[in-house]
Amino acid sequence: MNLNYNTDNNLINVLQDVSFEVDYKETISVVGESGSGKTSLIMLIGGLEKASSGKIEFKDFEISSLKEDEISEIRRKDIGIVFQSCYLIPNYTAIENVSLALEINKIKDPINKAKEILDKFGLGNRLNNLPSQLSGGEQQRVAIARSIVMKPELILADEPTGNLDSENSELISNILFDYVKEENASLIMVTHDNKLANLSKRIIKIKDGKIE
Amino acid sequence: MVKLNKNQNFSLYFKYALRDLTRSYNKILSIIITLFISLFILSSIMTIEDSLENELNENAKLLLGGDIEIDYNNREGDQTKIDKITKFATVSQMVEFSTMISTVNKKINKTSFTRVKSVDQFYPLYGNAFYEPNDALEKLNQIESSILVNENIFKNLNLKINDIVKVQDKEFKVIGIVKVLPDIGGAFVFGDFALTGKKTLDKLDLNTLGSFLNYEYKVKFNKSVNSKEGIKRVESLFKDQNRVRLRYPENSAGGIRRIVDNFSQFLSLVSISAMLIAGIGIANTLLSFINQKNSSIAVQKAIGVFSGNIKTIYYLQLAILLVLITVFSYGLSFFLIPIVDKYISDGLGLNIEASFSFLNLIIVFLVGMLVMIIFSIPTVNSIDQVKASNLFRNVFQSLQFNYSVKSVIISIVLLIILISLFAIRSSIPFYSVAYFVSFFICLLIFYYLSVTIIYLLKKYKNSKISVKIAVKNITQSKSITPITIMSLGLGMTLLLTLTFVGSNFKREISKSIPEIAPDYFFLGIQNDQREKFEKMIFNSDNKSKIEVVPMVSAGLVKINGIDPNSYIKNTNDSYWVIMNDRRISWSDEIPKDNPLTQGSWWDLSSPDKLQISLDSKVAQDFGVKIGDIFTLNIYGREIDGEVVNFRLVDYRDLSINFAMLLNPQFANKIPHEYLSTVKFNNIDKFDGINFLDEFPSVSIVKISDYLKKVTDVLNKVFIAVIIISTVTVIIGLVVISSAIIVQGKIKTFQNLVFKILGFSKKEIIYSSLIEFIITFFSIILFSTIFSIVSSKFIIENIFQLKWLFEFDIFLNVTITVGLVTMILIVFTNLKYLSPKVYPLVRNE
Ligand SMILES: Nc1ncnc2c1ncn2[C@@H]1O[C@H](COP(=O)(O)OP(=O)(O)O)[C@@H](O)[C@H]1O
Ligand SMILES: [Mg+2]
Repeated sequence: MNLNYNTDNNLINVLQDVSFEVDYKETISVVGESGSGKTSLIMLIGGLEKASSGKIEFKDFEISSLKEDEISEIRRKDIGIVFQSCYLIPNYTAIENVSLALEINKIKDPINKAKEILDKFGLGNRLNNLPSQLSGGEQQRVAIARSIVMKPELILADEPTGNLDSENSELISNILFDYVKEENASLIMVTHDNKLANLSKRIIKIKDGKIE
Repeated sequence: MVKLNKNQNFSLYFKYALRDLTRSYNKILSIIITLFISLFILSSIMTIEDSLENELNENAKLLLGGDIEIDYNNREGDQTKIDKITKFATVSQMVEFSTMISTVNKKINKTSFTRVKSVDQFYPLYGNAFYEPNDALEKLNQIESSILVNENIFKNLNLKINDIVKVQDKEFKVIGIVKVLPDIGGAFVFGDFALTGKKTLDKLDLNTLGSFLNYEYKVKFNKSVNSKEGIKRVESLFKDQNRVRLRYPENSAGGIRRIVDNFSQFLSLVSISAMLIAGIGIANTLLSFINQKNSSIAVQKAIGVFSGNIKTIYYLQLAILLVLITVFSYGLSFFLIPIVDKYISDGLGLNIEASFSFLNLIIVFLVGMLVMIIFSIPTVNSIDQVKASNLFRNVFQSLQFNYSVKSVIISIVLLIILISLFAIRSSIPFYSVAYFVSFFICLLIFYYLSVTIIYLLKKYKNSKISVKIAVKNITQSKSITPITIMSLGLGMTLLLTLTFVGSNFKREISKSIPEIAPDYFFLGIQNDQREKFEKMIFNSDNKSKIEVVPMVSAGLVKINGIDPNSYIKNTNDSYWVIMNDRRISWSDEIPKDNPLTQGSWWDLSSPDKLQISLDSKVAQDFGVKIGDIFTLNIYGREIDGEVVNFRLVDYRDLSINFAMLLNPQFANKIPHEYLSTVKFNNIDKFDGINFLDEFPSVSIVKISDYLKKVTDVLNKVFIAVIIISTVTVIIGLVVISSAIIVQGKIKTFQNLVFKILGFSKKEIIYSSLIEFIITFFSIILFSTIFSIVSSKFIIENIFQLKWLFEFDIFLNVTITVGLVTMILIVFTNLKYLSPKVYPLVRNE
């Protein structure tokens, strides 16, 4: 697939002829220099950006040809996204942020399920705190809880530990890899951290928008 | 294919909306405030109007004084017929006449023009009259030659209880004061009045009272008779009686009804203007609210919430707010009723009570909803611009108003619905529509004014640093200049227009009209008194201008054979012409100030046929054409006459003006009396007491007294109008201050940079003053132009009065608003004046 941006009469080729497949249960790390197009790749797979040409297929769907709301529908059940900055809704408490994902999928008993997962992540006593009252690591754990609580088959993570110290980084990577193992999900993760990258089955290296 | 499930659980989104609202309502406080103020005003107007109308409807029998009234005009009723009615009803006989009451034996004797009601022991059939002392009414029919006067006469004539006054040439003893009468219809609304017992009628020379005498029989059916049946029985008794007029409760108080109608229509227009100005602020505040929610919206999208559902959450928040504010402001409007009650009961004797109307609640909600949707569509639509992918980049572009073709069409359709909602309810839809059209033209002009100012200032170069900053503030891309100019501009235009209209109106009534109007009206001059009368006036001031015209009282009972009451509503502007008997006159020549607009003056070849000249406005209101046949009831005789011409009648000069004039060749044969106006060269030369000694039955109306009463009422109206239109300015100010707060972050950052660059606080304040002066003066310039044009149009075309630019009033209004605006702007800016340096360093 390809991705171009047209800015001020300048055509920027962000991704060129990138092509790869991800199997079920596979874990992939994407590495590369800053500006090489890693984030763009994740956005394309998650359906948050439209490819300029080429195809992106997820299970039976061809994501690149779906409408915005149709992609949303897939994302809410089957794709979990983790960002570098842990975007939580600022005026929702930890538990409300997590249960949001359950509620829009009409899952029964969202509060208890959210509580369960936050307990598991060691946040049992921070349930009713607002994001501003949580540390960075705690916030990232809430964010991850929110993206995996629906048990998605694919997790996309863009430098999930980028803003954290090594202790918290380890905590987060454990959570992610444990989840993949337990639920038989796939993971595509962008990271600068070699230790983290080496945990995954496959490493894809990107340079100037191309797979090396 | 993925199955879309758009109608997700509504209750879930409702929950989110409620959560969002309870946690961040303080960010949209200005929406809440402006929406509340404008809906409160609208609710109040509607509740007050409703209560007044309820009072008029419920008390229709009270105002009429019975279930039905039989009006025998100036002759005594047929006793055999009245006796027949007393078999199934109570009949209270009452005679009304206009006369002079004068004091006797005082140092300075005074007189007063009074409408006297002489009543029997049954009065009042409905409701209560209030007196001082309490048993005054009972005594009235026991003590011979006794009279009760209203408070105003009591005060003006310096009376004490048991004083003697003179009516015609007979003496009466004042045994008490009338405070409130239940039947205030007709002349009793603004005039002075008195009550006497039935016996007194024998003492007075009623024949000389002429057309100002009225015999009325008020009927209250016995409990066993239902009122429909009773009315039918009365109607059948008087079927063929030409000289009798039946009056029904629903026709009572037509005049007040029309005033209430027009006034509340007008005030609703003002309140909708307030709403529309609030709308500008709603759009702006909402945009900044959604901008602050930018990342939350992106997160929701990343999790898989549809854009449409996120919009639903925001619309739901607005809807919840609207429901709460509607209910609250509607409820609160009930607390105004006692205040208004106090205000109007002085003048009208009406006692209003708040009554809940579901329809009004719905209308208030509907209006609020329409305004809210119109102004929030482009803002809420901007949610589509938020991209979940922003979360990866950690940058959030600020959102812009999003005008899609679809949303513009929806807004226009809703706007048309809103306008129609008001136009349909008003008695003259054209005025409402014209009002809205000019409102939107002003809005557009103010918008382009702001664009032009920004454009010009961008080109303007000045080396002075505070001027530079001010110019930069006005021209920057997030500047509040357009919002300031639009919201304050519209409010100022409305306020100035109404003050100009009010002040011109007042000046005309209190200064210009008295200059051209006569000093006195003399009513009820009998045929044989005419010469003596003219001589007497001439003797007291030989330079006085006297005008004497014949007069007879007549009822317009049919137009082309049909009773006009059957198709002309009491809200018609000219309803007064058919409501009661009118006084009509005749003239050989076309009156000087009544030019013909259509038809020709009298056809002298057929002097035996009644010909009628009609007021052109009345003709227009009733849809009368030249050649139509009017049936006039004159002293019980019905006479057909042809309408031969229309005259443009100008009642404002308060000289002798008649809606109908007859051809003298025919009318001179009718028994008549005279009406006279006199303008004295030196008004002090006329002695009313002396005059009444000679002409005890003639009534004198002093125009200046009458005008004073009108001015008093107008003053109250004027104050109410100004208070309500000030609300539009207040809302404009709330909109501006909320815009400043919305802009606050930029301001803080900017002031911070200034501080780092080494500017003093003084220079920053100075620059915001320059900014204020530039925007405020352009607002004043344009709103003055608009208000001059519109107030001139209203005064000259609708009221047909002379328009003058009242500079001192203009200064008062603009300086007051200017000061308030300046203080507000400086105070709101003060918050951003002392920024701490460290947030910048920490890149917060
Ligand atoms: N909206 C955009 N418009 C133009 N160029 C963009 C846009 N988004 C990203 N880019 C460019 O695409 C390239 C890849 O960006 P990105 O995927 O964020 O890289 P990485 O995550 O590997 O650091 C960069 O050179 C960036 O400047
Ligand atoms: Mg990146």
